[in-house]
Amino acid sequence: MTMTYETRMVWQNRLLLAPALVLLACFILIPAGAAIYISFTNEALSGFAASHPQFVGLKNYVRLFSDAGFWNSLIVTFAFVFGSSIVGQFVLGLASALALSRPIRFRRVFNAAILLPNAVPEVVAGFIWISMLAGGQYSTLSRIVGLFGFAPQNWLESVPLLMIIVVNTWRGIAFAMILMTSGLSAVPAEVYEAARMDGATPQQIFWRITLPLLRPTIFLYMLVSTAGTIAIFGLIYTLTRGGPGGATEIIGIYIYNQSFTAYQLGYGSAVAVIMLGVSVAIGAVYARVLKVQV
Amino acid sequence: MIGMRKFTRGEATAYGYLTATLVFCLLPFLWVVLASIDPNASQFLAFPEGITADHFIKIFSANKGGRWFFNSLVTVGATTAIVVVVGGMGGYALSRSEAWWKRPFLYAIILVRVLPPTAIIVPLYKVMLVANGPMGALVRSIVPPDSTRSAMQIFGFVDGYLGLILVLSAMQLPLALWIIKTYFDLTPRDYEEAALMDGANGFQRMRRILVPLAMPGLSAAGLLCFIGAWGDFLMPLTFISSAELQLLPIGLFRAFQRATRVDYGYLCALAMLYMLPAVVAFGLARRFLVQTFTGGIKG
Repeated sequence: MTMTYETRMVWQNRLLLAPALVLLACFILIPAGAAIYISFTNEALSGFAASHPQFVGLKNYVRLFSDAGFWNSLIVTFAFVFGSSIVGQFVLGLASALALSRPIRFRRVFNAAILLPNAVPEVVAGFIWISMLAGGQYSTLSRIVGLFGFAPQNWLESVPLLMIIVVNTWRGIAFAMILMTSGLSAVPAEVYEAARMDGATPQQIFWRITLPLLRPTIFLYMLVSTAGTIAIFGLIYTLTRGGPGGATEIIGIYIYNQSFTAYQLGYGSAVAVIMLGVSVAIGAVYARVLKVQV
Repeated sequence: MIGMRKFTRGEATAYGYLTATLVFCLLPFLWVVLASIDPNASQFLAFPEGITADHFIKIFSANKGGRWFFNSLVTVGATTAIVVVVGGMGGYALSRSEAWWKRPFLYAIILVRVLPPTAIIVPLYKVMLVANGPMGALVRSIVPPDSTRSAMQIFGFVDGYLGLILVLSAMQLPLALWIIKTYFDLTPRDYEEAALMDGANGFQRMRRILVPLAMPGLSAAGLLCFIGAWGDFLMPLTFISSAELQLLPIGLFRAFQRATRVDYGYLCALAMLYMLPAVVAFGLARRFLVQTFTGGIKG
């Protein structure tokens, strides 16, 4: 007995998808599920609890609420996401997209310069910014502000949170610019033409036409960028490791430090579950916005 | 004024803004570029008094940097190959299937894409530890005892290439599936059906029709996978501990963090070498970047 063509195709598709499913299940889905389970135990990386983990119910979650370190990392994460992705990258990315939408000379040069910070690996970005910011009077930034008569500083210690916001803004202008450029190119030229005929000023055109028409693009950008910024690890780890004194301990760094430095896997997993919840919520909105075509 | 083009206010603002942004974007790179050719490089920006290629030569002469580069190339290369093959098969199936699970699967891919790796790193580490046991037993039963250690460096799940390659592949797979699925959606089924009528078997259809047709989608997926895996910091930091297996990002990071006798010129040359493939791949993938977030690859 032979299978019909349709049945064969159904099995062929299942078989073709199987390796991908196995990889995703073993290394992403099962760990994500295990994170939820571990968060209800007192699992540790060393000591007695490492060999005899016990079920502790909601204890880890109760501890979260009274843990200043956790609240601190939430606030730092919020400030980091808001400052770098919602304000810094967005404003500079939109401005770059608008400026480059004009017939400008050296457009490719400007474009390449803005893309470069996004192209380099996180570790290299971390190195070069340490040279910019650390070392008091020797750092590049201290020498620049010195030209205007300001005192040199160790920037990663005096204003650490502001500095990681600046560094991440630097890194992400390109992403905002790319999305905004594609959004701008979808606006028909006649719309601007008509507005100009009616005597609209550039300011009016920006606030009344460009920005409203870009709204779907901006919304998509905010979603993707927020999810991406919450997930940042290497850039901050190479720059500050979350220090000084937790001032730059965004949630990913906090989880890593709790788990692999303080060895508290159960507690670290409770933080991870909160982070997973936030990301899945963002992802659910994102999936709706994309309107998946089957 | 005759002969001189007058700037409008809008243009002047645009040039002024773009120039300031250009300086902001490029200034941090000045140090790494100058230090990599400066015989007396330090951690801080300085104009080199001479020019030397020694730092670059040192990378490939009996130094750890060359080994790190090789390790990165092997693991990221293998990851990219796995993702293109597995993602190609899966993306094709996702595009052609009409099964009930198709829509849930696609939504799941979007959700998996936004999961932060830091949130699953602890349970992932445990999964790898568990998998490492049977793999160790298997390796010990096959290879002679004196080469068990080197075999585990290749096939181990913790502190071994295989584990790192599989983890990196899983992390890069969702995007690849998404891109390739969208690409196959745009390629007509007529060619496959014609080949089927002509009696071509599954393998022939794949080699002669599907792979050539899907090439742009596969290369976009491969490029983005390479960029992601090449720059990844968390996975090699967590899963590789042996010095001889170290990847470039972690090797660089640890060397840079040392308290004394940091050879900045050498590290900067190494950082330049590390940046180069990433920047080239990014340049090639640039035109695909928008679609990866808004839909799929078109054209």
